[in-house]
Amino acid sequence: MSTLEKLSEYVEHGKGKEAKSLTQKLLGDNISANKIVQEGIIKGLDAIGEKFAAFEAFVPELMVAAMAATEALEVLRPKMTHGTLHKTLGTVVIGTVEGDVHDVGKNIVAMMLEGGGFNVVDLGVDVPLAKFLKEVQYHEAQILALSALYTPTRLAMRDVIEALKKEGLRDKVRVMIGGAPIDQDFCNLIGADGYAPDAPQAIKLARSLLA
Amino acid sequence: MKDDPIYKDRRYRINELRKKNEKMTSRERTIKAINFEEPDRIPIDNWMVPEIKKRCMEYWGCESEEELLAFLGVDVRDNYGPSYVGQEFKKFDDGTVADLWGVRRKVVTYGKGTPHEGTFKEVAWSPLEHMTSVEEINAYKAWPTPDWWDYSKMKAECAYWHPEYFVLNKGDRLDRTAQLKPMMYLRGIQQTFIDLAMNPDIVECIRDHVVNYFVEYNPKVFGAGGNEIDMFMMGDDMGGQRGPLISVEMWQKYFRDAFRKYCDIAHEYGLKVMYHTCGDVYQLIPEFIENGLDCLQSLQPQATNMDIKRLKQEFGKHLSFQGGMDIQQVLPLGTPEDVKKMVRYAAENAKRGGGYIFGTSHNIQADTAMENVVALFEAYHEYGVYG
Repeated sequence: MSTLEKLSEYVEHGKGKEAKSLTQKLLGDNISANKIVQEGIIKGLDAIGEKFAAFEAFVPELMVAAMAATEALEVLRPKMTHGTLHKTLGTVVIGTVEGDVHDVGKNIVAMMLEGGGFNVVDLGVDVPLAKFLKEVQYHEAQILALSALYTPTRLAMRDVIEALKKEGLRDKVRVMIGGAPIDQDFCNLIGADGYAPDAPQAIKLARSLLA
Repeated sequence: MKDDPIYKDRRYRINELRKKNEKMTSRERTIKAINFEEPDRIPIDNWMVPEIKKRCMEYWGCESEEELLAFLGVDVRDNYGPSYVGQEFKKFDDGTVADLWGVRRKVVTYGKGTPHEGTFKEVAWSPLEHMTSVEEINAYKAWPTPDWWDYSKMKAECAYWHPEYFVLNKGDRLDRTAQLKPMMYLRGIQQTFIDLAMNPDIVECIRDHVVNYFVEYNPKVFGAGGNEIDMFMMGDDMGGQRGPLISVEMWQKYFRDAFRKYCDIAHEYGLKVMYHTCGDVYQLIPEFIENGLDCLQSLQPQATNMDIKRLKQEFGKHLSFQGGMDIQQVLPLGTPEDVKKMVRYAAENAKRGGGYIFGTSHNIQADTAMENVVALFEAYHEYGVYG
């Protein structure tokens, strides 16, 4: 097994410490950060995503895999300020909408997006509408990702989209939404660009929105 | 009840259907259902947020919650258990209030200034979140004890509803018999998931504290309630929107033994056991049955694998069900016609041979239009009838 394969296994199995030290070793061996991300970290995340889709892995396994990916990424971050990875896949501003303080699902999505090569700006929970608008502009985000757990709070997603339109920002950012009460019908209803039912599919969606 | 013609008109349909369909008391009806016999109509349980309760009372002209439930033909009456007499729950300057477990909660408002404005109490601080060892957790000073409760009024409180209604002892959200939920409150949800994957000692330690408490507390509750309790409800959220939160193997490893213990204790007191969980728990249902569960609630139809028709076919001989009415899409976003279709589907597929209680997949939320709530209860009475 190659060292990169080993790294992807560590990520998949949520072995953060091991993933971190192996990433350091790979850098020492002059493997590029880009290659480490693509063939190590992302591969590991994709593998756990597939197991999750097949009901073979569940939230605890997904969470520790996402954490391991971000730990490995920490090592790479200084190397990512220049060179090929200076350009990430894109910037995602993410947060749980106003009135809702649930963040477990959102955090897993944020970690996996980050591990998956995106620059992620996490605004936390109970985020006021104006803050989403401001941060999207400030970071020149390509994607705005909104999360909600309750059905009444999900209506705040519609308000954010309406506000983006009003401010003339709607064409500049793709909006993806998620959370337990979200489905494709709701996505269509409020005019979001995409919905994902879980974190692994959120990565795929983010990639496709920027393709 | 207000007697103005407008309210009488609004109540007319439900009153007429009930007059025609009902031939037994709520208690007789529900007992038959959970014993897999067909009563006169499918029993009704009711979960609503306070905002909806208030709107219902206004709409139908009811002057108390008791009047509302009686008018709607709700058969189940909730008993929240003994009265808390422990130390006063501490209030903090940041507006948070400690609960039974020492977990601090705050009130969060959603939909500010909109017609669906409401509030939820949310965990703001989990006391065990940053602890790193079993020793620290064992040394936590705020573990609750069953001595913090006065059980003396419980029997009379339950008996108040008898012989007319079916009394469900369910505790409230904070002291409901559970394992994973208190762990999540105490430790934080995210940290609990990490523990489940990586820190078995900590999971077992917190679980044991929680389980020991309920194993001591529940016999006192059941003993105090005597034969005035008709059923016991416990609850943990083991399901997500798609699939269980944890694997079957993990459930077996950490939660099976106490699940069985909780069921056994209730059965020793002659009580059947209802279990609340949100989400898709399809893979866990055989485990629930094997370990003593009698009734699974509150089936969430939008979750994967929780179609009531399939559940009834596969497990309906051994397990009764409560729920199946969707609060995620149909009630808040559908039409009254969609609501009726949903009720009809559940009734047609789950009522045969008893073993089914109407109910929503969680509280009807404040974003639900009154016309859909009306459609729901009218449809319960229209499609729930046997024979």
